[in-house]
Amino acid sequence: MKEGKDKIEEIDCMEAINGLYAYLDGEMADPGTLAKFEHHLEHCHSCYSRTQLETALGQLIKKSAKDTAPEKLQTRLKKLIQGL
Amino acid sequence: MTSTEAKTWFGQSIEGCLDSLYGLAMRLTRNAADAEDLVSESVTKAWSAIGTLEDRNRFRPWIFRILHNCYISDYRKKSVRPVAYSYDDYAEEGEEDDITSLLIKQSADFLSWWGNPEREFANKLLGKDILAAMEKLPEAFRVAVVLVNVEGLSYDEAAEVLGVPPGTIRSRMKRGRTLLQKALWEHAVDSGLISDNEMKGSKP
Ligand SMILES: [Zn+2]
Repeated sequence: MKEGKDKIEEIDCMEAINGLYAYLDGEMADPGTLAKFEHHLEHCHSCYSRTQLETALGQLIKKSAKDTAPEKLQTRLKKLIQGL
Repeated sequence: MTSTEAKTWFGQSIEGCLDSLYGLAMRLTRNAADAEDLVSESVTKAWSAIGTLEDRNRFRPWIFRILHNCYISDYRKKSVRPVAYSYDDYAEEGEEDDITSLLIKQSADFLSWWGNPEREFANKLLGKDILAAMEKLPEAFRVAVVLVNVEGLSYDEAAEVLGVPPGTIRSRMKRGRTLLQKALWEHAVDSGLISDNEMKGSKP
């Protein structure tokens, strides 16, 4: 933290958890809110762990729900688009 | 741009997001044959509506929206299957505080179990377990999780796909994840991934 900026307003765990998913989804746009959230993570082991877990779970979900279109669908679409 | 160029561009754009389209179709129809038909039908509809694509950089949300609409009008009726949680129990118009306490309460057992490295959760819980849990989610939450968590759309883009305000996506992501964790916990209990000892004192 740079000098003069160390007066970040404290938030409680409730507020941190409430913002957790927006944070994970890259939707915590307001820099002040982001700073408060990250400041809380640096000082709260419980919320830090939870964030780690949720991040890992999110990655697992992403990996698991990824599909590859079957080859026959690729062929079908190529023909379809040619005929449009 | 000539119509040939437009068609080439369209074909390349489809190819570029085909896996995503198929994935979304699979999560919606939960059936490979229907998913393939849904993608094909959506591609035909998309081409005939190409004039409505205002910004080429937003091709993905645009075509996802077409696919989702196509699913609702032509496929949803025949693919309706019972889900584990009723949508009404988790209606999205709840107070923010309710959602937060739900988040804290419902996920606690799952997270404390999962967070214990001795249980090697990551090794035990497989992709098929995640998919089984996702299937249990009410459709509105399942789609939000797929669009944001799996496909990496912003809340704005997901809102565009579903025709809802971004705030609705925000709350669906919270509840969707909470429900998913609940479903994973139940799945882990049902399939014996969690021993009786581990369950003691942490039964939801
Ligand atoms: Zn905390």
